[in-house]
Amino acid sequence: MTGQPEVTKREGTVFDIGYQNYTGPREGRNRARLSVIKNGVRTSLGFGRGALAKVLPWLFIGVLVFIAIIMALVAGAADRLIGPEDAEQLNLPSHSDFYGIASIIFFVFAAVGAPELLCPDRREGVINLYLVRPLTGSDYAFSRWLAFFMVMVAVAWLPQFILLIGLIMGDPQPVDYLLDNWLDIPKFLAAGIPLAAYTTTLALLTAAFTTRRAYAAVFLVGLFVITTPFTTGLASEIGGTAGQWISMFNLSNIPVHVNDVIFGEPSVITREAPAAELSAWILVGWFLLWTLVPAGVLWVRYRRLTP
Amino acid sequence: MKVLLTAEKLTKHYKDVVALDSVSFDISEGITGILGENGAGKSTAIKLFLGLIEPTSGSAKALGQDAHVSIAVRAKLGYMPEHDCLPSNITAAEFLGHMAEVSGLPPSHARTRAADTLRHVGLFEERYRSMGGYSTGMKQRVKLAQALVHDPTFVFLDEPTAGLDPGGREEMLELVRKTHREFGISILFSSHLMADVERACDRIIVLQSGRLVESGEVTHFTKETETVFIEVDSNRERLVAALEQRGIAVTADGHGLYIEGPDESVYDQVRDALVEAEAPLRRMAPRRRALAELFQHEGEDFASELSP
Repeated sequence: MTGQPEVTKREGTVFDIGYQNYTGPREGRNRARLSVIKNGVRTSLGFGRGALAKVLPWLFIGVLVFIAIIMALVAGAADRLIGPEDAEQLNLPSHSDFYGIASIIFFVFAAVGAPELLCPDRREGVINLYLVRPLTGSDYAFSRWLAFFMVMVAVAWLPQFILLIGLIMGDPQPVDYLLDNWLDIPKFLAAGIPLAAYTTTLALLTAAFTTRRAYAAVFLVGLFVITTPFTTGLASEIGGTAGQWISMFNLSNIPVHVNDVIFGEPSVITREAPAAELSAWILVGWFLLWTLVPAGVLWVRYRRLTP
Repeated sequence: MKVLLTAEKLTKHYKDVVALDSVSFDISEGITGILGENGAGKSTAIKLFLGLIEPTSGSAKALGQDAHVSIAVRAKLGYMPEHDCLPSNITAAEFLGHMAEVSGLPPSHARTRAADTLRHVGLFEERYRSMGGYSTGMKQRVKLAQALVHDPTFVFLDEPTAGLDPGGREEMLELVRKTHREFGISILFSSHLMADVERACDRIIVLQSGRLVESGEVTHFTKETETVFIEVDSNRERLVAALEQRGIAVTADGHGLYIEGPDESVYDQVRDALVEAEAPLRRMAPRRRALAELFQHEGEDFASELSP
């Protein structure tokens, strides 16, 4: 034993293995669609983009959550201050009213967010790179639609769940509240879907006709903002059946009427609208018309798109 | 050599405009240049092979399949467009990973391929920078990288040197050659610049007004001529006089002297004339034709379109 540990010298070599041909799996058209959907969701929420791209979507989500928290706090405070019976008499807004109250926020969110999925791809020519891959124009349009629809559904459901948790926690008997009101859960889940489908379709259709995101957003916001006072005023002026049909052209109320049909009662927003008196089938049919026809136009626009 | 693209009596009409008129050709492994002036039908031919548009008549098959009927074949094809096609607000790494996935690669493989491909085009260090800040040359490299990221069998390059300075152009041509030489990917190189095609391609196809004008090996078109080219450092006029004294007809231009149709003995006479004129010889060689000269007969406009 010398007392000196033997030091072994390790030698490393870096090899440049050069270009390697890809021999892994190729998953074809389904992977292509899935990737466009995933990219659409990330783009809508600003993931993988700079900080500025995250500001708008998360600001809108924050506002929607804030509205839900305020609604839950008011309901909880009323329960504790004046008692559950008297609070019920106040008929405070709840799940059935949320989509109506927040509808304008949903529309602005869609108007600002959806064009981001279509406009830059056409303006910057990226669409050319999609269409030369195993993906058709229809695949592209449907995948983009599905991506934004999923975001809108999540954005619709998130504040409703927060409202539900707030209402349960605010009630003096949380378990009893849940047992008495559990049916609100499937109702608000179901009502979120037509709202998401309608806003997604109209916003993407508008975006399909311009390469400028701002033009699409301003046009959509203008459309929703103008039709509401115009149709409301005209409908109350004319009255009768004609007034009811004019009221149907209040674009921001169309999915809220479906929400009312699902909950079985008009929300605080549509309670005074003449169209609310029409039958449920007409209201649902009108919603389908305003969703499926724009979806068809969107599909036709992208179906034959070539670089 | 394996045939990868086949056009058979390929015709495409846009209303009254004939973009391609019953064109037939095969493209096999290697780098093939497709030359023609604007509107000659180059881009239409590429779109037909990619299956983006339907032919009016005839057929365009890529890797044995009609890409308009079976879009799955596009997973083995790559395309680099002439015009801008890059999003400005995301990084090259993320963009290439996404493009690889859209070509059918699973996400983990797509990420690896994106990094590898960016290394091969010389942008590995810049891969996490937003592409909005890239130079024209870097953007051209990303455009090439997205066409290669899924390891296609065949790539269509549409004017890959457009907008590049001479240095960038040379680098791009070297990348194109490397793509075939080292990666084994065959290429259709569309250009209106003959010099680029001559330097990068093995074969050429020339289109004019939707018709096939010429096709064949580049070396066949640029083979040695019967002309000897001589370049000297000084005493050029004395050399010309010395050659003419020996009965040799000489023509001159800004580059040097040309002697037409020489036999073997002319080299001895040139040697003697050089000594007599005391002209230091820089270069003497049989001259090769440039591709541009072949198409002079197609008209002045065509020739000038095809010059850099």
